[in-house]
Amino acid sequence: MGELDGRVACITGGTRGIGLAIAKRLADEGASVVLGGRNPEKGAAALAELGGGERYRFEVCDVKQREACEGLIDATVEHFGRIDVLVANAGGATGHRPVAELSDEAMQDALLWNLWHTFWTMRRALHYMLPQRFGRIINISSVEGKVGKPGLSHYVTVKHAINGLTKSAAREVGAEGITINAICPGAIETDVMQAEGPGAAASMGISYEQLLEVFAQESAIKRLNEVEDVAEVALLLASNAGGGITGSMISVDGGTAPY
Amino acid sequence: MNRLDGKVACITGGTRSIGRAMAEAFLAEGARVVINGRDEAKGQRCLEELGAGERAAFFPGDAASQEVIEGLIDFSIERFGQLDVCCLNSGGVRHTAPVVDMTDEEWQLELDWNLNQVFWGMRRALRHMLPRGAGRILVTSSVEGKLGKPGLPGYVATKHAVNGLVKSVAREVGTAGITVNAVLPGLIETDIVQQTGPETAKAMGLSYEEMVATFAGEAAIQRPNKVEEVAAVAVLLASDAARNITGCLFPVDGGTMPY
Repeated sequence: MGELDGRVACITGGTRGIGLAIAKRLADEGASVVLGGRNPEKGAAALAELGGGERYRFEVCDVKQREACEGLIDATVEHFGRIDVLVANAGGATGHRPVAELSDEAMQDALLWNLWHTFWTMRRALHYMLPQRFGRIINISSVEGKVGKPGLSHYVTVKHAINGLTKSAAREVGAEGITINAICPGAIETDVMQAEGPGAAASMGISYEQLLEVFAQESAIKRLNEVEDVAEVALLLASNAGGGITGSMISVDGGTAPY
Repeated sequence: MNRLDGKVACITGGTRSIGRAMAEAFLAEGARVVINGRDEAKGQRCLEELGAGERAAFFPGDAASQEVIEGLIDFSIERFGQLDVCCLNSGGVRHTAPVVDMTDEEWQLELDWNLNQVFWGMRRALRHMLPRGAGRILVTSSVEGKLGKPGLPGYVATKHAVNGLVKSVAREVGTAGITVNAVLPGLIETDIVQQTGPETAKAMGLSYEEMVATFAGEAAIQRPNKVEEVAAVAVLLASDAARNITGCLFPVDGGTMPY
């Protein structure tokens, strides 16, 4: 018997990295899971990793588009009859530069990828969660949603914005059986990190290896986090016992953030 | 397979409310548990109710005493051969008052009960945990460790202090396989709150019912928290899966704290 038997979860960016780790953990506990992602091949591979079967489903979803975000939520409800858990996990940033040289395109891309996507999926999910008086919305923010690094200003800005949205929305629906929280992980070497990390490092004037070392050294554990760390906290927040936790920005950063 | 198989935990204030819920949750996950409390008869009754046989033990004494808290750590190691999880959970106020009327005796009591207990307990536990390269220290703090209410100057000050201690020690032992975290519950109507609540409310210029309504009204969920909600977080932080979560002030407050 799992903690999430009968629950339906939808995860953006669910085919890899943190999203896939969360999918596995929620699936282990009995949830049906819909994975959103851009690439059907990666979707198929992720479904195979989950072990296949009726409980798991992949939907093509480019989170930088509203129709795709809303369509993902709708498809979840169409297929499984409800949505109990939304994990707004997709995110990242491109075109890293110090703010004096940051392009409009890079800022806009970061806003769409992280903040608009979180807003669009949350708004649509609440349409279904409010009438059923149950819901768990988990936004994957970042330690950079609490602190700030030079050279990452667009990423830092949009992650801070997600934390603000989380706190405000949590108060709107707090008495309706719906919790909304953010998890703030420290640096994890996911494939988004491997793809965008070198550009971020260059913007900070250091190498990619140095970037990882900077993050590790800021923490108490002196190493990077792992996707499974985030998945454990996501499971707790998704569970019935998580019903008393909302509007929180939970640090899963090895002791990096000061608050 | 349980999440705390093979682990040994000790819990101050373990015979009732939050501590009792932690004991039940730890036992359910396979741990062996030593509970501490002032009242020998209550302790024995609690052991019977837990029904865990040899897997549970009671250590009597006032956790505000250095001798007792160090004795608890030593007894746990002696009894079960090791100590993996040290829960410094006991705390509260007896005769609180606005600072202008606060007595030295009450101030000292709250320092010993809420802060010194944690210092004495973690120092003793770390001497055992550091050579083993493994351990979990979990402190029950409070929303009042981040906020401030009138009439509770000692409680608010000591809970703030405990949060500082947790952050500092997490960095001291972060690479030694030991995590140090605090859980910050909102108001829970535990039996200790029901006992001391009327006098506490008076110090705040409120009736007991008004005090409970004030705390609940500050939360997004518009209700007090429950002991099971704290226990679920305690299990997570005590488990191997949480090895990369440290220095974290984990809110279980229904969306009360702004940060």
